Amino acid sequence: MSVPLLLLIVLALGLAGFFAGRMRALSVAGGDLRNLHSLPGFYGWSVAILASAPAILVMVIWIAVQPIVIDRSVSAMIPETAISDGSTRDLVMADVRRIAEGLDQAVAAGALTPDGASNIRAGLSDVRGRLAEVGVALGANVSSESLRAAQSYRSGLAAGRLGMTAVVLALALGGLGYGLARITPRFRARNTVELAVRMGLILCSMIAIATTVGIVLSMVFETVNFFGQYPWQDFFFGIEWSPNFRGNSSLGVLPLLWGTMYVSAIALSVAVPVGLFSAIYLSEYAGPKFRAVVKPAIEVLAGIPTIVYGLFALITVGPLLRDYIAQPLGLGDSGSSVMTAGLVMGVMIIPFVSSLSDDIINAVPQSLRDGSLALGATNSETIRQVILPAALPGIVGAVLLAASRAIGETMIVVLGAGAAARMSLNPFEAMTTMTVKIVSQLTGDTDFAAPETLVAFALGLTLFVITLALNIVALWIVRTYREQYE
Amino acid sequence: MNDMRLMERSAMTNDVKISASQVQVFYGESHAIKDVNVDILDKTVTAFIGPSGCGKSTFLRCLNRMNDTIDICRVEGRITLDGEDIYDREVDPVQLRARVGMVFQKPNPFPKSIYDNVAYGPKIHGQVRSRDELDEVVEKSLRRAALWDEVKDRLSAPGTGLSGGQQQRLCIARAVATSPEVLLMDEPCSALDPIATAQVEELIDELREQFSVVIVTHSMQQAARVSQRTAFFHLGNLVEYGETGQIFTNPGDPRTESYITGRIG
Ligand SMILES: Nc1ncnc2c1ncn2[C@@H]1O[C@H](COP(=O)(O)OP(=O)(O)O)[C@@H](O)[C@H]1O
Ligand SMILES: [Mg+2]
Repeated sequence: MSVPLLLLIVLALGLAGFFAGRMRALSVAGGDLRNLHSLPGFYGWSVAILASAPAILVMVIWIAVQPIVIDRSVSAMIPETAISDGSTRDLVMADVRRIAEGLDQAVAAGALTPDGASNIRAGLSDVRGRLAEVGVALGANVSSESLRAAQSYRSGLAAGRLGMTAVVLALALGGLGYGLARITPRFRARNTVELAVRMGLILCSMIAIATTVGIVLSMVFETVNFFGQYPWQDFFFGIEWSPNFRGNSSLGVLPLLWGTMYVSAIALSVAVPVGLFSAIYLSEYAGPKFRAVVKPAIEVLAGIPTIVYGLFALITVGPLLRDYIAQPLGLGDSGSSVMTAGLVMGVMIIPFVSSLSDDIINAVPQSLRDGSLALGATNSETIRQVILPAALPGIVGAVLLAASRAIGETMIVVLGAGAAARMSLNPFEAMTTMTVKIVSQLTGDTDFAAPETLVAFALGLTLFVITLALNIVALWIVRTYREQYE
Repeated sequence: MNDMRLMERSAMTNDVKISASQVQVFYGESHAIKDVNVDILDKTVTAFIGPSGCGKSTFLRCLNRMNDTIDICRVEGRITLDGEDIYDREVDPVQLRARVGMVFQKPNPFPKSIYDNVAYGPKIHGQVRSRDELDEVVEKSLRRAALWDEVKDRLSAPGTGLSGGQQQRLCIARAVATSPEVLLMDEPCSALDPIATAQVEELIDELREQFSVVIVTHSMQQAARVSQRTAFFHLGNLVEYGETGQIFTNPGDPRTESYITGRIG
C-alpha cells in the first residue's frame, strides 16, 4: 500500500474514531451530559488522537529508518572484489538503486513479469538491453553481484512496505478500539486531550531544535574532515588566502575575517548613528502623523532584497566613490571597495537598529521623562542623561543583532567589495568576506573531498560561532535590561 | 480627629507665593479646569482634595507648566509666581521647573545611583562648582528627605533598588536638591504603606519651613494631618478654599460637606 493511501486510511480511522467516541460517550452518559466528566467532543478527540497519532508517528519513523536498514543489508551483499578500481561502494550502491528502479519500470511497462524481475540472471539475459528497452539507461553492463543486490533491494523494499502497512493499520485499529473501550462517564477525556495537545506542541518545538542541531552537526562533521587534511593552525592564523585546486593551497582565514570585520564595522558606523538618531527623533520628538509615515518607510529598507542593494552598490555607489573620492585622493581606482559594500550594507541595516531602538526607547516609562522634565531638564538633556542610559543595554542588543546581520551578508559584498582576499587598511581597496568565499568555494566544479572545498564548511562554522556568540551576548544584554523595570 | 487642635492651626505667613486667577484648562475639547482662582501661601502646606477625576493633578501641573508636555492640553488664565506671570513668553518653562519642583504619585527614581539621582538637578542647572559642593548638596538633600542615614553607605547603589518608601523619599531629595521655592506633590503616598506614609508626612511638615508645599491627596485624614490650607475641587471647579480646620469642621459649601462626610467620592 502506498504511503499517501495509508495516511488517508489512518486519518479516516481517526475521523471515524471521533464520531464513534462522541456517540459512545453520549450513550454511556445515558442521555444526560452532566454524568460525563468532559464534553462529548473531548471523548471524540481522545479516540481520534489515539487512533491516528501513534500510527502516523510509527509511519514517519519507519519511513526514515527503512532505507538505512535496507541499504546496509544490501551493501553487505556486495563483496570488495565487485568494486572496480576507481569506483567506490557508494557509486556501486547508486548503480544498484538504479537497476532496482529499472526493474520496477520494466515490470510496470510489462517488459518483465514480477516473477521474472526477481529471478532474472545477469549471465543468462541481457539485462542492460532489456532495461534500455523500457527507457532505463545504465552506464555499464550489469554485473551479477549488482543485479542480485538490486533484486534483494527490491524484495527488501516490498517486505518493508508490507510490514509498515500491517503495523500501521494494526496500531490505528488497536488505538481506535482501545480508545473506544476506555470511555466511561468518569474517564477524563478533557485532560487526556490536553496532554495530547501538549505533546504535539513539544514535538513541534523539538523539530526546530533538531534541525538546528542537525545543521551544526553536518557542519562540524565536514569541518573535522577539513582539519584532517589541513592544519588548523594554518587555517586560523594563516594570513594568506589562495586556494588552488591542484593542491598546495593557502587557506588562512585571517584575510577573510579581516574583510568581514572591516565591512561590518563600516556598515555599523553608518547604521548605528543614523538608526539610533532617527529612533530618538521618532520616539521623542516626532508627532504621531510624521511617525505613522516615516516609521514604516524606514522599515521598507529591511524588505529590499539584498541583491538589489548589491546592484546599487555595483552601479552607483562604487563608481561614485571611485571617481569622487578614491581617485582624487590617490587611494586607488577600484570600483569595488570595502567602503562601497560597507556603506550600502549600513543603509540596509538601519531599520534593524532604528526599529528595535525605537521600541526600546518607547519602553522607557513615561514617569522617568516626567521626573526629569519636572526637575527642569530640557528634552535633549532628558534623552541623553535618563532615557539613553536606561535604554542602553537594549540598544546594545539591537546593535549586536544588526552586527550579526552584517557579518552574514553576502550579496552586497560580492557586488560591492569584490572577491579578492586581502588584508589592507585602505577602505577603497577591494576585499572580500568569509560568506563570499564560502559561496565561491562551493560553486563550479567541486570535489567534495578536497580541502579547497571543505574549507567552506570550516568558514561556515567559524561564521556560525561568531554570530551565535554575538546573538547570545545580545540576548543576555536584552534580558538583563528587561529586569530593570518591574 | 481632634477638632480643637485643627482649629488652632494657622498658616505661618500670609505672603502669597503663587496666585492663580481665572485658570481654564482644556484637554482638546474637554474642559478640565474651570475658572479657578487661588492664592497659595509661602511656607505653608496646601492640600488639594476632591473626588478622582476632578482636576487636582491637572491644576497642580499648571503650576510648573508640566502640562506643556501634553500636546492636547491648553491652559488659559493667569498664574503668577512671586508676582511674575509664569505663562509669559519671557519665562522659560525649564527654568521655572527648577524653581517649582515636583514629586509624583509613583516613585520614579532614575535607573542611576542614589547619588546621581540627587545630583541630577544641581548638575544640569550648573548650581554647583565643585565635586565637594555637589557632595554637600547631595548629603543635605538626603538628610532633608530623612533618607541619609539609610543610604549613606551605599550612595553608588542604584536608586531603583530601594524600597517603595525609600524611593519616594529619594524622589523628594531629588526635587529638594535644586532648592526650589515651591514643591508640588501629586498623591505622594498613594503607592506607600502606612509606615512609609507616616515618614513622608512627617517630612512634609519639616519641608514647610523652607518651601511652599502643595500636596494633592485623596485621603482627607492626610490633608487634615499635614496641611494648613485646603482646597476642595469638584468637577473641575474650585469649590472651597480656606484654612484646613475651617474646611474640615465648618465647610461653607454643601458639596464640601458631602465629600468630607463621605457622600460624594
Ligand atoms: N493627558 C490627558 N489627556 C486627556 N484628558 C486628561 C489627561 N489627563 C487628565 N485628563 C482628564 O482631565 C480630568 C481631570 O483629571 P486629573 O487632573 O488627573 O484628575 P485628578 O487628579 O483629580 O484625579 C479627567 O476627566 C481626566 O480624564
Ligand atoms: Mg490625580
